[in-house]
Amino acid sequence: MARQIQFAKKAPEAKELRRRAGAWLKELRACAGLSQIQLAERLGLKYYTFISQVENGFGRVPTESMEAWARALAIEPSAFARRLLSFYDPELHRLLFEVKE
Amino acid sequence: MNVIAFQPRMLQLDGPWRTGELNAMVETLMPEATRPGGLGWDVGLTEIGDPQFYLLGPPQDECLLCISRIGRRYVLEDGAGHVLFEHYRLSLLVERAKAALQKRKAQIVARAALVWCALRETVEERLDALVLEGEELLAHCVPQLAALA
Repeated sequence: MARQIQFAKKAPEAKELRRRAGAWLKELRACAGLSQIQLAERLGLKYYTFISQVENGFGRVPTESMEAWARALAIEPSAFARRLLSFYDPELHRLLFEVKE
Repeated sequence: MNVIAFQPRMLQLDGPWRTGELNAMVETLMPEATRPGGLGWDVGLTEIGDPQFYLLGPPQDECLLCISRIGRRYVLEDGAGHVLFEHYRLSLLVERAKAALQKRKAQIVARAALVWCALRETVEERLDALVLEGEELLAHCVPQLAALA
C-alpha cells in the first residue's frame, strides 16, 4: 500500500512539541531570573497572561516578537528562533539545518 | 443595642475557575465542539495562580482565544497575545469571545471562497487553452484528411 505523504503535523504531536517549547521557555525565563510579570513588562505587554499561555504549551511565540523574547531572555536571537522552529515546525527545521547535500 | 457595621465583603475571586464561570464559558463557546474538527478547550494556571481558559481550534489544537481572570478582572486575548477585551463581568467578555469566533469563522469562509475562485479561474484558463489547441489542430488536419479521402 502506498504511503501517504503527511502534509501537516498531527494535532497530538504538535501539541506535545508546543508543550516542550513552553517548558524550554520557562526554563530560559528562570535562568534569566524573571517572573512572568517581569518578562511581560520587558516585552511591552499589558498583561502577563500571554507568557503563561505560551509556557503552558497552548500558544506560540509569534515570529515578529521572537527577537524581543530572545533579548528579554538574554539569548542570541538566531539561536532562539532556530530552537523554537525545531518545536513549531520540525520539518522545516530539518530541511533548513539538518539535511546535507 | 450596639449595631456593628460590617465592611462590605468584596467578592473573593482567586484560585482556579469556579463551576459557574466554567459553565458560562463552555455553554456559550462550545456549540462548535460537537462538529467534527470543531473546537476544544482546556484550562491552566499562570505562575501566580490566576486561572486561564483556552479555546483550542484546528488544525493543531492551538489556542484561538484565551480568557484569564486577574483579580476581579477578566481578560480576553487572541492566540497571539493581543488583548481583545477586558471587563469585570464574565458574561460580557464571553459574548465578545463568541463574536470574535464568529468573525474568525467568516474570515475562514471568505478565504476558502477566494481560493476556490482562484482555482476555478486557473482550471478554466488551462481548459480554454487545451480546447483552443485542439480546435487549431483539427482545423489544420481536416483539409489534409479530406484531400486524402
